[in-house]
Amino acid sequence: MVNVPDSRAPFSAAPLRGKHTWTMSPVSRSVLLAGASILIAFVAWQFLSTVLFNPFLIPPPLEVFRTAIPMVASGEILADVSISMVRVLVGFVTGSLAGIIIGVLLGRIRLLHDVLDPIIELLRYLSPTAMIPIAVIWFGIGELSKYFLIFWGTFFIVLINTTAGVWRAPIARQRAAECLGANRFQIFMLIVVPSSVPYIVTGMRVAMASSFMSIIPAEILAADSGIGYLLQKSSMLLQTNRIFVALLTICVLGFIVDRIFRIFVDKVLARYMSFVSQT
Amino acid sequence: MLRVTDVCKVFESARGTYFALDGVSLTIRDGEFVCLLGPSGCGKSTLLNILAGFESVSGGTATFNNTAITRADRERVMLFQDAGSALLPWLSTEENVRFGLRVRKVPKVDWPATIDKYLRMVSLDSHRAKFPAELSGGMRQRLQIARALAVEPKVLLMDEPFAALDALTRRHMHTVLLDIWRRTGKTIVFVTHDIAEAISLADRIAVMSTGPRSTITRLIDIGLQRPRDMTNPKVAQLFNEIESLLTPDVLRSSERLEVH
Ligand SMILES: Nc1ncnc2c1ncn2[C@@H]1O[C@H](COP(=O)(O)OP(=O)(O)OP(=O)(O)O)[C@@H](O)[C@H]1O
Ligand SMILES: [Mg+2]
Repeated sequence: MVNVPDSRAPFSAAPLRGKHTWTMSPVSRSVLLAGASILIAFVAWQFLSTVLFNPFLIPPPLEVFRTAIPMVASGEILADVSISMVRVLVGFVTGSLAGIIIGVLLGRIRLLHDVLDPIIELLRYLSPTAMIPIAVIWFGIGELSKYFLIFWGTFFIVLINTTAGVWRAPIARQRAAECLGANRFQIFMLIVVPSSVPYIVTGMRVAMASSFMSIIPAEILAADSGIGYLLQKSSMLLQTNRIFVALLTICVLGFIVDRIFRIFVDKVLARYMSFVSQT
Repeated sequence: MLRVTDVCKVFESARGTYFALDGVSLTIRDGEFVCLLGPSGCGKSTLLNILAGFESVSGGTATFNNTAITRADRERVMLFQDAGSALLPWLSTEENVRFGLRVRKVPKVDWPATIDKYLRMVSLDSHRAKFPAELSGGMRQRLQIARALAVEPKVLLMDEPFAALDALTRRHMHTVLLDIWRRTGKTIVFVTHDIAEAISLADRIAVMSTGPRSTITRLIDIGLQRPRDMTNPKVAQLFNEIESLLTPDVLRSSERLEVH
C-alpha cells in the first residue's frame, strides 16, 4: 500500500479549463517535452557532425543507427551490456550492503567511528580508477577485479550517507520509543535504521551513477569484454561509429537503471521516504 | 508520586559549563495536573527530561514513587512538541499505536480492542489508515496522546505539546486533554510558556525563573472549578501575578519609572 502524498497531485487537481482552451495532462506534456528535447539533441548532433566538424570525428545520427542495427541484431551489444551490468550489479549490491552495515555501526558506536573514520576519510579519495592498477595485480583482469573496483566506489559513498542518516534519526523519535518501552535493540532496528532510509537511498543513487562511471575505465584498461572494452577496441581500430554506439548505450543504460531504481524505491520504500514537516 | 529535591543541572560542553537548574524542588501527587511555566531557556524541558529519565541530575534527587529515576521508564511517557518527529512517519495512525503495544509486549489478542479504545478517545478512529504526513498538526498531537495512553502509563510528561497549533485547535486540544485526564486519572506534567494555557489546565502552576541557575520561584494553587471560566476576575488576577513573576527585573524597574 502506498499512501505517501503524491508530488504530482497539485497538477492533477488543477481546475479544468474551458473547453476551448488547449489542455493536456501533465504526463503527456512531459513526454512531449522530453521528445522535443531529444529531437533538438539529434538536430544539434547532425549539425555538429556535418557542418561544424566532420562525419569521421562525429558520425551523424543515422550513420550511428546503421552501425548499431547489426550490433544489436547479432547480440554483440547485448553480450557486452550484460557482462558490464553483471559487474556493476555484483559490485554495487555487495558494496551497498557492506556500506549500509558498517555505516550503521559507525553511526551507532562512537568508539568504532572515532577509530575508523580517519582511515575512511583518507581512503575515500582513492577513486576506483586510481585503484585499477593495483586491482589488476591483486585480482587479475577477470571478473573479480571489476567486482572489487565497483565495490570500492560504492562502499564509501553508501557508508558515509548511511552514517549521516543514522546520526540524523530524530532524538525525539528515539526517546518516544524508549519511554513506550522499546529496548536499545528495538530502538536501533525499528527507529534508527528506518529513519535513515532516505539517506541510504540517496547514497545508493549516487553510488549507482558512480558505478556506471567507474566500470568503463576499468574495462578500458583491464578487460577483454564489456562496454568499456568495446569502446577501447573500437578506438584502436578508429571506428568512431562503433564508439558512438557504445556511448549511446551507456547513456540509455544509466537512464533505465536509475528509473528502475526509482520505481523500486517508490513501490517498496515509499513509506520510509516521507518526511513530516513541522505542522 | 513524582518528586525532585534540590535538583541542580549543569551542562558541560567544550564552550564551558552552564548552570541550567539550581535547587529545584517539587512534589507532584498522583493524578495531579501540574504546569511548568517559565521564560524560554529557563530549563523547563531540562526538568521534564530529568523526570522522564532522559537526563541525569547533577545534584539533588529525582524520584518516582520513592525510587530514584535513573532511566526512561514505561510508567512515564513523554509527549513531544514536534509530533511529526516523535511519530513514526512510515507507519499509519493505527500502526503507530500498535508500535507502542508491540514494544511493550502487550498480548496480541488485546491489540485491536486497545487500539480502538484509544483512537476513539482522541477521535482518530476514522483516520486510522492515514499516515502522519496526512494528518493535521492537531491530529498528530492527538495521535501522540493516543499512542502514549495505549501503553497505560501512570504519568504523562508533555513538553509544549500544543505550542505549534492555532488558537482554536489549541482550545479544542485543551478540552480533549482535560476530558482524558478526568477519565483516566493520569498524573500530568505539562510544560508551557503560555500563561493562559497554564491557568486553564493546571491544578498547580510551578513558575520558574530565568536562567542561568533557574529555580521554581512560586507554586500557585489555582483552586478554580473546571471547566474554567476565563472571564472570572480571579483568572485575571492570577494572570497578572504570574506575568509580573515572569517579567525580567530590568523591564519591571523601567516600567515603574514610567508610572511615576
Ligand atoms: N545539551 C545541552 N547542552 C548545553 N546546554 C544545554 C543543553 N540543553 C539545554 N541547555 C541549556 O539549558 C537551558 C535550559 O534549556 P531548556 O531546553 O530546558 O529550556 P526551556 O525552558 O525548555 O526553553 P523553551 O521554552 O525555549 O523550550 C538553556 O539555556 C539551554 O541553552
Ligand atoms: Mg523546551
